[in-house]
Amino acid sequence: MSDTSTATRLVKGVVLLALLVVLLALPLYVEEFWLRTGFAVFAAIIGAVGLNLLVGTTGQLSLAHAFFLAVGALTYVYVSGDPGGSAIEYGGFGLPPIVGMVAGVVMAGLAGVLFSPIAARLRGIYLGVASLGLVFIGQHLLNTWTSVSGGFNGRLAPAFDLFGFSFGGNEEPYLAVLGVPFGQAERLWYLGLALCALACWFASNLLRSRPGRALQNVRDSEVAASVMGVNVQEYKAKVFLVSSMYAGLAGVLYALSIGSVAPESFSLLLSVQYLAMIVLGGLGSVGGAAMGAAFVSALPLVLQQYSGSLPFIVEPGQPGIVASQAAAFLYGGAIVLVVMFEPGGLAGLARRLKRQPRPPQESPPVSTTSSAPADSSSGGTPR
Amino acid sequence: MSTTQLRKDVRPLTIDNVTVRFGALLALSEVSFSVEPGAVHAVIGPNGAGKSTMFNVLSGVYEVSEGEVRFGDEVLTGRKPHQIARLGVARAFQNIALSGSQTVVQNLMLGRHRLTTAGFVSAGLRLPKARNEEKRHTARVCEIAEFLELGNKLHVPVGVLSYGDQKRVEVARALSTEPRLLLLDEPVAGMNAEETARMAQTVLEIRDALGITVILVEHDMGMVMGIADRVTVLDFGRRIADGTPDEVQADPEVIRAYLGSGDETDPAAAAAHGTAEETP
Ligand SMILES: Nc1ncnc2c1ncn2[C@@H]1O[C@H](COP(=O)(O)OP(=O)(O)OP(=O)(O)O)[C@@H](O)[C@H]1O
Ligand SMILES: [Mg+2]
Repeated sequence: MSDTSTATRLVKGVVLLALLVVLLALPLYVEEFWLRTGFAVFAAIIGAVGLNLLVGTTGQLSLAHAFFLAVGALTYVYVSGDPGGSAIEYGGFGLPPIVGMVAGVVMAGLAGVLFSPIAARLRGIYLGVASLGLVFIGQHLLNTWTSVSGGFNGRLAPAFDLFGFSFGGNEEPYLAVLGVPFGQAERLWYLGLALCALACWFASNLLRSRPGRALQNVRDSEVAASVMGVNVQEYKAKVFLVSSMYAGLAGVLYALSIGSVAPESFSLLLSVQYLAMIVLGGLGSVGGAAMGAAFVSALPLVLQQYSGSLPFIVEPGQPGIVASQAAAFLYGGAIVLVVMFEPGGLAGLARRLKRQPRPPQESPPVSTTSSAPADSSSGGTPR
Repeated sequence: MSTTQLRKDVRPLTIDNVTVRFGALLALSEVSFSVEPGAVHAVIGPNGAGKSTMFNVLSGVYEVSEGEVRFGDEVLTGRKPHQIARLGVARAFQNIALSGSQTVVQNLMLGRHRLTTAGFVSAGLRLPKARNEEKRHTARVCEIAEFLELGNKLHVPVGVLSYGDQKRVEVARALSTEPRLLLLDEPVAGMNAEETARMAQTVLEIRDALGITVILVEHDMGMVMGIADRVTVLDFGRRIADGTPDEVQADPEVIRAYLGSGDETDPAAAAAHGTAEETP
């Protein structure tokens, strides 16, 4: 048994390595649109992996993800942006972008800590309802606190740079690899890839270790977890903190990806999209969250790009279906299909496609996420 | 009573006048008894007698309406479950409460929670400290799995195991916490006669090898009378008897409780063939 598990781990490692090589080489071959889409996808993956720790692993529903993305994005533009604005004036510290990025993650974490006493005491769907409030508070703040947000029209996000190496704007210093000039899109691609890989690595380490096991048992049986020595409230609070820090980083990258931030970007719809990503991907797995995030975040961009050659999609402003609506229909439909036919999501589908003939795993009698035969035990209690 | 060396830190358990109310229902009513260190102490009684409720009180899941539970000189009542777990009280659940998607080893590693320290940062970054800890405790947990005859199922998700195996994982997980007091809630429910006999043997070995106290809730009278040093009988939340297996089986009130509740066997007769096979 342990032979097969090392074998699967080996296969997994090889696949991941191959994927990494492809992703590293991609900027040499594909055009700018795909690199920009890729950066948006990396940002979404980070956010989805973080939300998945909370919802998929721990079983705590949160609709507040958009709020924490907003905190990350706004902190970044305020800390690293310069004061400006014409109709509505806004401030900014103009600090180096890396400071803004770290501050974005930290501030989102702080916001998470402030909310965590609530997150620790509520369970599942009740937390979902309570967290809804944060989205509306966030919307209100974004619209009224104009010296930070720039108000309704938003404000520009400063380009990222790291110790003089620019990821946007002036493209300094000049860099070319194998004759391909590395401009803004190429540079951002690698930035996103590195942060995304780090975020996924951290999350999957977590899942395979002491805190991850505790979180999964909190999901499967809170009573059992606490009786085994897990401080359930503490763990719920901590995973909420971690999840909001992931959202904060995703928010910073989101701002970099769009190039600006506006209040309307961080509405409830964004929270719902993130939930869609992890449900599509298959709750609980890092790889699944990544696949779901790629699908949901790339779809509208791709449909938009090819709207000319897609008969049913029109340019914005014309009568008909625009790309973002078409994408919403598509992933909405996909969610219904997944929930009905493959509750394991894309990750479950992938597992099924590569499933080896391993007898005990062929027909799991119960859903793999619940503490299996809880009901059969009471029925089978002999007297 | 056991002839083996008692662990020095194993303390007597005192249940003192414990009452648990759920609205109008008295799940436990002024129940008192004590459990000697190193004993195998059985708690029996008809369905709904309050046995699992007693375990929920001992492990801190339910609050008492009145009364107190002491483990040595530590008062358990009023503490949170995870605080009680840290004192070395472990429990195997009647209704299996494992993580079905996780492997046997991963489930047992949850039992090591109180003995390990890796946090979000050290685990997420795979710091050497966390990895060494993980390796050491995994080795120990595999030994425990071996002991519970799960050695060839270490990396199987528990959700696909048979019911009997899941029961064994429950016991193994409780044991993985290296407890001083082990609470087993119907560990042989759903097992056949041979498996039951092996589990009975295992319980005795646990007590003898580790010198810890075991409290056993079980309907299988054969097993109870065979291995218990002492038996407490509950009926409708009241303690109706407390004594050696022989005393309890001869107790008229115990016989009445078992006959009166519509059961056609009395504990003595049940002891002769065991009741596990009565219901599927
Ligand atoms: N959380 C609860 N809320 C309300 N009533 C409860 C609760 N827990 C237990 N009870 C009630 O308390 C009584 C005792 O239940 P308990 O589970 O302790 O019985 P038991 O002796 O373990 O029975 P069994 O042999 O069937 O496992 C039952 O009437 C049960 O319905
Ligand atoms: Mg019970």
